[in-house]
Amino acid sequence: MFTACLMSLSAVQAQEIDMLLKGGHVIDPKNKIDSKMDVAIKDGKIFRVAADIPASSAKKTVNVSGLYVSPGFIDLHVHVFAGTEDPGFTGFGITNGLGSVVPDDFTFRSGVTTVVDAGSSGWRDFHTFKKNIIDNSQTRVLAFISIAGHGMLGTVHAQDTTDMNPVATAFVMNEYPETIVGIKAHHYRGHDFTPVDRAIAAGKITNKPIIVDFGSSTPKLSIKDLFLKHFRPGDIFTHTYSGSDMSEKNPGGRESVVDENNKVKPFVFEAQKQGRIFDVGHGGGAFVWSTAINSIKQGFLPNTISTDLYRNSRNAGMKDMANVMSKFLNMGMSVQDVILRSTWNPANVIKHPELGHLSVGAEADLTVFNIREGKFGYMDARGSVLNGTKKLEAELTLRAGKVAWDLNGLTGPQWDAVK
Amino acid sequence: MGCCKVIILESIDELKPINHNAMQKMLNYRKLFSLIFAVPLLIGLTLVVSSFQAGAQEIELLLKGGRLIDPKNKIDAKMDLAIAAGKVVRVAADIPASQAKKVVDVSGLIVSPGLINMHTHVYAGSNVGFTDGTSSQLPDAFAPRAGITTVIDAGTTGWRTFPDFKSKIIDKSVTRVLAFLSIAAGGYSVDKAQENIEEMNVQKTVETVKNNPDILVGVRIGRYDGKEWTPFERASEAAKILNKPLFVECHLPEYSLEDQLKHMRAGDIITHAFENVSERMTVVDEQGKVRPFVLAAQKRGVLFDVGHGGGGFWFNQAVPAFKQGLWPNSFGTDEHRTSMNSGMKTMLNVMSKYLNMGMSIPDIIDRGSWKAAQSIKREDLGNLSVGSVADIAVLSIVKGKFGFVDSGNNKIDGDRKFEAELTVRGGRIIWDLNGLSANSYMK
Repeated sequence: MFTACLMSLSAVQAQEIDMLLKGGHVIDPKNKIDSKMDVAIKDGKIFRVAADIPASSAKKTVNVSGLYVSPGFIDLHVHVFAGTEDPGFTGFGITNGLGSVVPDDFTFRSGVTTVVDAGSSGWRDFHTFKKNIIDNSQTRVLAFISIAGHGMLGTVHAQDTTDMNPVATAFVMNEYPETIVGIKAHHYRGHDFTPVDRAIAAGKITNKPIIVDFGSSTPKLSIKDLFLKHFRPGDIFTHTYSGSDMSEKNPGGRESVVDENNKVKPFVFEAQKQGRIFDVGHGGGAFVWSTAINSIKQGFLPNTISTDLYRNSRNAGMKDMANVMSKFLNMGMSVQDVILRSTWNPANVIKHPELGHLSVGAEADLTVFNIREGKFGYMDARGSVLNGTKKLEAELTLRAGKVAWDLNGLTGPQWDAVK
Repeated sequence: MGCCKVIILESIDELKPINHNAMQKMLNYRKLFSLIFAVPLLIGLTLVVSSFQAGAQEIELLLKGGRLIDPKNKIDAKMDLAIAAGKVVRVAADIPASQAKKVVDVSGLIVSPGLINMHTHVYAGSNVGFTDGTSSQLPDAFAPRAGITTVIDAGTTGWRTFPDFKSKIIDKSVTRVLAFLSIAAGGYSVDKAQENIEEMNVQKTVETVKNNPDILVGVRIGRYDGKEWTPFERASEAAKILNKPLFVECHLPEYSLEDQLKHMRAGDIITHAFENVSERMTVVDEQGKVRPFVLAAQKRGVLFDVGHGGGGFWFNQAVPAFKQGLWPNSFGTDEHRTSMNSGMKTMLNVMSKYLNMGMSIPDIIDRGSWKAAQSIKREDLGNLSVGSVADIAVLSIVKGKFGFVDSGNNKIDGDRKFEAELTVRGGRIIWDLNGLSANSYMK
């Protein structure tokens, strides 16, 4: 009976694979797969991952030999609350403004299927964000909500501790438990930890992590205190490689993870070991080659690779997720390590373990990519260049089994072969 | 607020007069100055020019060693290009690096006038559809990275909605945004209201274009489901009064292709030239021949824009058309939310299709810059003449095995593809793919 059942299953299977990605090198860190495998997709989900799935069992077969196949990338730090409101406040205009970008403009072409907005909305305007962007995007858009009621409408709002309400924030978070993954604290110039502690208070109510853009005060606030006295395990420090030996000499701003001799501070290793999360958050000003290169040489790797995609980073040294991932490849990180930090790690950090892997039954968010060889230059946020020989390019991006990007027409026939 | 704008807008004020009063004063002084000192000034100018050539460091940015293609000036040669105060100040075979504050080595690369995208929809906003809507794209999201310095909005607004478009998008973009004005008052909305002929007002359309001569480049007709020709004729009349081109877009199902072309004057532009959709007859017939009336229209001076879009470019049209001489005059991409991630991708991708179909690099650059500028009567753009605004694209040609996809998801194989290495807008670098203009971090 059991055998008969299996046999009929495989017979059904013969007609049932919607798309078969054949011959690629699958990297699926969660399932410890790092080898040549075929991936079958059915009804928008992963149906089977195996060494040799016959093409005859699929309605459509795409030859991806010579390419890598991985879970769709998850960009943990973006600003996508795009709009044309001009609130007139000093600051970045991220909230419903031109400071943000539209997610689908940037995601699929760089292999990203999920983005996590980093606090562009607060509890007062999350509904607008959801209606305008989240519900209108092909990209899966999740969000950290700002502890500031008005999100990132203006930097002035980031100073207003009277509008940082953990209870109201947690209330809105509980209305959208799937979409809102945590709380952001940011851009605060006061010499105290008020926004961080308020965000953590909301995080305790909701059992969610916080992400912090830290260090806008003069004199500097201690990152050691932030990591070890305030953060819980799972809380996230973004813009990890922004500081430098040079910025160590400034009285204000963000304290660097490296000292004046570019040595990673011992408490940073300790904090990471204790479960604090270090995110890249490249942005327009938050990635410095000397800090990143020295950190990686000394074994201080980011938990998550992310872009901080917004108006001022998109056309600068950051560019897109694939470019930021390429930087890590050219610093010597293995492709497996880069993929881990762009898929399964961020999925865990935001407590969405259903994402970032290719387990059977998972939504078929997939990226097929190549690592192009050539002579490339990679700019950091200070306009300095690291020369490199590798560049990650998204060939094919699937979102829930649907082709969302196909760089070289892997899925299409030759034009003159069609009647 | 001023501070706010600098941060939000990637410092676009560098491209524009910051203070109108100060600007006005400057202009007044200049007038006075020119009246009193006109003659001595002329003499002085000669001295200035010669001292300039003597090698004072007045060049702000020198692009050195590239293959400079400037169709207007019939240049296709290894030339250096010097920029100062946002303008092209010199193009010559060997400009000493010592004369420049910053030198960028562009040897092995193509130096082209900044590309002009003839067909875009950039009235981005939060509403459904194209008008102030989510179907449009923000220009700075796609233009700089594709070597584009000027985009032309294809009539997403009409006389009623243009002011909002101007204040929200045009004035706040680093990319130069020009536009065709739709004859429909509301532009390209998705509701039927725009088909209200009463609202298709020639006078208001003409006035709006005349009041915005630096931005509005012509009149657009598109999306009309009726049989009567009044909308088309009104658009055409407005264009005629303005002496500007009529831009004929899609969704005119009741007008035959032959009739559309008959109604067009020399210099008018039809887009989606190579589409293969049910609502319009194709330019190529069932036997693979370009229809004679199409070739006749081309001969008469009607211009054909690619207008790729999500459904507007088919190899089974474009390839035979190319072989039979129906070449596009411009590479409009019909940039919008659903075309951007389809076979279209970027203007460079559309240009690369023609490269792999057999069009020469200079012919492609010509259609991506100078021919496009001429067709909208903006001969100040799309060239590298001394004194013109320094809008420049530095392009590379990558070799490899590529596929290029059309609107039917059919493809051609190719071995070359354009990439934008460096984009300069008004003398300022707004895109630098590989850090050509940057320093090594080790130094």
